[in-house]
This record gives sequence, structure tokens and C-alpha cells, in this order.
Amino acid sequence: MPGRIRGSVATSVALPRESAFAVGLRRVLAKPSSRAALVILLVVVLAGLLAPLVAPYDPAAQPDIVALKSLPPSFTHPFGTDPYSRDVLSRVIYGARLSLTIGFLATLVSLTLGVAYGAISGYAGGLVDGIMMRVLDAFLAIPRLLLLLGILVAWPQISIGALILFLGVTGWFGLSRIVRGQVLALKHAEFVTAAQALGASRRRILVRHLLPNLMSPIVVAATLGVAHVIVLEAGLSYLGIGVPEPLASWGSIIRDGSDQIAALWWMSLFPGLFMVLTVMTLNILGEALRDAYDRR
Amino acid sequence: MLRYFARRLGQAAIIVAFVAVISFVLIHIAPGDPFSAVMDNPNVSEVVRQTLRAQYGLDKPLAEQFVRYIGAVAKGDLGWSFSHDRPVLEVLGSALPNTLLLMVIALVGSFALGILIALIQVAKRGTATDHALSGLTLFLFSMPDFWLAILALLAFTYWMPLFPVGGAVDPSMHEYMGLGARIVDRLRHLVLPALTLTVLAAGGVARYQRAALLDVLPADYIRTARLKGLTERQILRRHALRNALLPIISLIGLSFPALLTGAFFIEKIFAWPGMGLAVVSAISSRDYPLVVGGVIIGSIMVTLGSLLADLLYAWADPRLRGH
Repeated sequence: MPGRIRGSVATSVALPRESAFAVGLRRVLAKPSSRAALVILLVVVLAGLLAPLVAPYDPAAQPDIVALKSLPPSFTHPFGTDPYSRDVLSRVIYGARLSLTIGFLATLVSLTLGVAYGAISGYAGGLVDGIMMRVLDAFLAIPRLLLLLGILVAWPQISIGALILFLGVTGWFGLSRIVRGQVLALKHAEFVTAAQALGASRRRILVRHLLPNLMSPIVVAATLGVAHVIVLEAGLSYLGIGVPEPLASWGSIIRDGSDQIAALWWMSLFPGLFMVLTVMTLNILGEALRDAYDRR
Repeated sequence: MLRYFARRLGQAAIIVAFVAVISFVLIHIAPGDPFSAVMDNPNVSEVVRQTLRAQYGLDKPLAEQFVRYIGAVAKGDLGWSFSHDRPVLEVLGSALPNTLLLMVIALVGSFALGILIALIQVAKRGTATDHALSGLTLFLFSMPDFWLAILALLAFTYWMPLFPVGGAVDPSMHEYMGLGARIVDRLRHLVLPALTLTVLAAGGVARYQRAALLDVLPADYIRTARLKGLTERQILRRHALRNALLPIISLIGLSFPALLTGAFFIEKIFAWPGMGLAVVSAISSRDYPLVVGGVIIGSIMVTLGSLLADLLYAWADPRLRGH
């Protein structure tokens, strides 16, 4: 971290100022593996965004529950149909939309909470910091899935908004510990002392001076966080306490076929493949970002 | 060392106490109570409901309920499971050994497999083998537990029926088997769940260990070993691996939540009679005390796991042994 501060002072004389964030991004894009991951991720995101145009059928339509139910993959239904005669490919595409939306929004909630909690704890220091960190230890000791089971079992049918909220509320503990560490390290940096000497308020120092320096861990945590939420949401939907019933997420499609896994193998295989592909691209990008920023 | 142990034990106790507080909050943010009409039979009259509430202390002020709850948890009373009609602790306690069996096998297996993969990768760093194995470990690392379990079930019980479909023993024949046959029966049922969890966890271990090995390779003592004329294999095994094993010990502590979570899904899919199956089945029967009991027991397991890893670390690192 200190290197970056020195660097920006030195380069500001001769070169146009480039943020550490932009430098990291360029390093990431220099790798072929992360470029490939980015392209695949963009395709999945676009497919999700343009789901009504891309999907061959209506994901909820049940054209013929007798003649068209549980069909194996064919030219008309590349991923087969489910026991309600719905087209699995269309459901997987709409599932991309739902799973990605939940992943992004829940991560946004986690980031907000994690950064706020970590920054306050690190900046306050002393007793406040001690108590806040012990509480964090307790939350970190509860496996996230178990915590979610404990919350969600109380609500028989949950709305998407509430699901996103709960996924976000249970996902910020790790990040806030990283943020706290960074704030502790930067609290006595010269640029903070300078801002204090100029009479800046605590809030201004936190928001204007410390937060921009936390960008890299936040971006890494966000990328890996989205991947994690997608897997978690799928798991919860698979257990029947995630996305509400008629909607298609990758986990709930697998669940729909899970009582006849052997007979309806296409319902487990294809949504899962899409999910793993998406999660892999996010993990590749997240790790590449971490490598780029961690390079000392 | 002893003082360090005492301090870490105290920290673990505080964490468990906080977890109990969190679980109390979990119970009370739920809409209604076990005796409100939404959760229970609507034919029961309001008067009876009130009596039941009084009986279970639900009419007391929240502060009093809180103190009673924490006291009960401290004594090991996790409440009554109404779907099993037995105390929660008894239900989870009888299922726990099966879960621990899966987790221990997977822990040992995944670390052995993961370290082996990482050693191969580092020995052949930069080659196609390294890249292919990196792809494989990333694939495993990104895979949802339940999906791999479903695929394993599909592949090895339906398409290639090598193993039984689920459970811990053959439901009808096990009673009539001799001792040898019983052991074989148990092992045959154990293979698929244990192997699935092992493979799932190995991906993360391999990625972590590969990075740890690459971290120590630029060190001076590696250069010295190389100058002494040791083969690359000797350097890797005797010098690099030993030093790169230290960070992997902290990974043991960190891997408990994932192992436990993985065991939950795997137990459900292979009908393995462990804690995960009990808790996951409690979801559909809305057996709330059992689920929250699972949260508490699971958190205690994770806390003890990380305590164990910390002690192991302090013991393995000669620099920490004096403290």
C-alpha cells in the first residue's frame, strides 16, 4: 500500500495520473485467461439481460403437460423439457437473469455493510473496535449456509427482495475484517494526518481519503462474492427455501428434476453446467484482480 | 503454550456464547411463535394457545425469555424437536458421528489429494500439465456441492451401478449379514458420499498449496539447496513442501465451514443419516428448534475446528513454540 502512495506522487510530475485501480485492471486484462473469462461472463450476462429475445420459448409456458412433458434433449428442445412440459433451455436462460441479479444485488448489500462496519471499527479503534471485532468473530463462526437456513426456515414463502436482503446481510463478515485491517494500516498515513491538519471531519476523512484506497480489496471481494452468492442461492433453491416456486433460477430447475434424477438427468446437468461456467469466470477474474493488486 | 491455549479457549467460549445470542435473535425475528395459527393447527382455539404459551414461558418478558434460553443452551438443552418427538440434542447427537466420519475422511483425503496435485503442478510449473490441473482445481472449486453429488449419484448408481443409491447400510439385508459382510456393506455405502466430499474440498486445497509452494520457491534456502546440487524433486519435497505446509495448517481451520456445508448437501443427496440430513429434513417439516440447534452445533464444530488448527499451528511452528 505505501508504495502506491509514493508512486502516485512520483508519477504525477511526468505522466498523466493513473489510479491504482486502472493499473490493476490493465494487468488483469493482459492475461489471456481473464480475457476469455470476461468474454464468457459477458455472453452469460447478455443472455440473461436479453432473455426474452434469446430464449426460444416462454419459461413458464406449459404447452402440453401430457404430450410434451419430461422430453429428453432434441432439436426443438436442446435441453429437454421438465415434468410441467416447460422448455429447460428457456428456463436456464431466464435462470441466468435471476441468479445473476440476485448475485449482484446481494453482493451490493454485503459490500455496503462490510465496508461501513469495517471502516467504523478500524477508524474508531480502542474498546469499540474490540467489541465490534468479537461480534464479528461470532458471525464468522457460523457457517453462512447454516445461518441462512436458520433465518429462512421461519419464512415459508419468501419474496425475491427478502431473499436478496438475507443473502446480503449474511455475506459481509469477511470483507469487513479486511477493510478494518486496511483502515488501521492507513489511519496514521501522512495524507490522513494532512487532512486532519486541514480540519477535515472524521466523516470526510473516511469517505474521501480512506475509502478510495480500499477500492482494490472491495473489487476483489465483490467479484468473488457474486460467485459465492450464486452457488449459495442455488443451494438454497435446491433445498426449497430459496427463489419462490414458479420462478426459474439455476438451483430451482435442478430441484424440479431432483426427485427423478435418473429419468430427468438433463434437468440437473445443463443448469449446473451453466452455473459452474459462470462461477468459474467470476473466480478467474476475482483471483486475477487479487494477484494484480497484491503484487508488491 | 499453555497460556496461549487458555486464551484461545476463552475466545472460543465467548464466540459460542455470542452464537447462542444470535440464535435467540433468529428465533425471535421469525413471524409468530410455535403456537400461532400460521405455524400450528388452526382448529386449536385461542384459549388453548394461550395456555400453551404460558406453559412454554412464551408470555414472559423478552429479557426473561432470553436469560432462560441462554441458561438452557449452556446446560446443553437445545429444545424439543417436534418432528422427531425427541430432544434436539438427542437427534443431533445420534447423527453427529456419521457427519464427523464424512468430514474427517474428507479432511484427510482432500489435503492428501490437494497437496499431491499442487506438488505435481509446481514440479511441472508452466507446462500444459500445470495448466490442465489448474483448470481442474478451479472447476472443482467453483462447483456447487449438491451438483457434484447429484452427478456422482447419477453416474455411479444409475448409469454404472457400482454403489448403493443411499443410506449408511442396506435397509433390509444388513440385519441378516455376518460381521464381515456388514463391514463391507457399510464401506460400500460410505465410498460415494466420502469421495464426493473429498474431491470437492481437494480443489481449494490444491489451489492454496500451489500458491504457498510458489511463494517459498524464491527463498534463499531453496537457492542454497539448488546450489548444493540437490535434484528438483528433493528440493520440492524436503525444503519447499515443509515450509509451505505451515500456511496449509491454517487452511485446515478455515475449511471446516465448507466441509460442514458440503456434508449437509451430500448427506441429503445420498440419504446419509448425519446431522445435515436431520437439519435439512427439518426444513420441510418446519421443525424450527432442530434447525436452530443445528446452527448452534455447527458453529461449535467450526469454532473447535479453528481452535484445533491454531493449536496445531503453534505446535508445528518452532518460532511459536516458546510462547
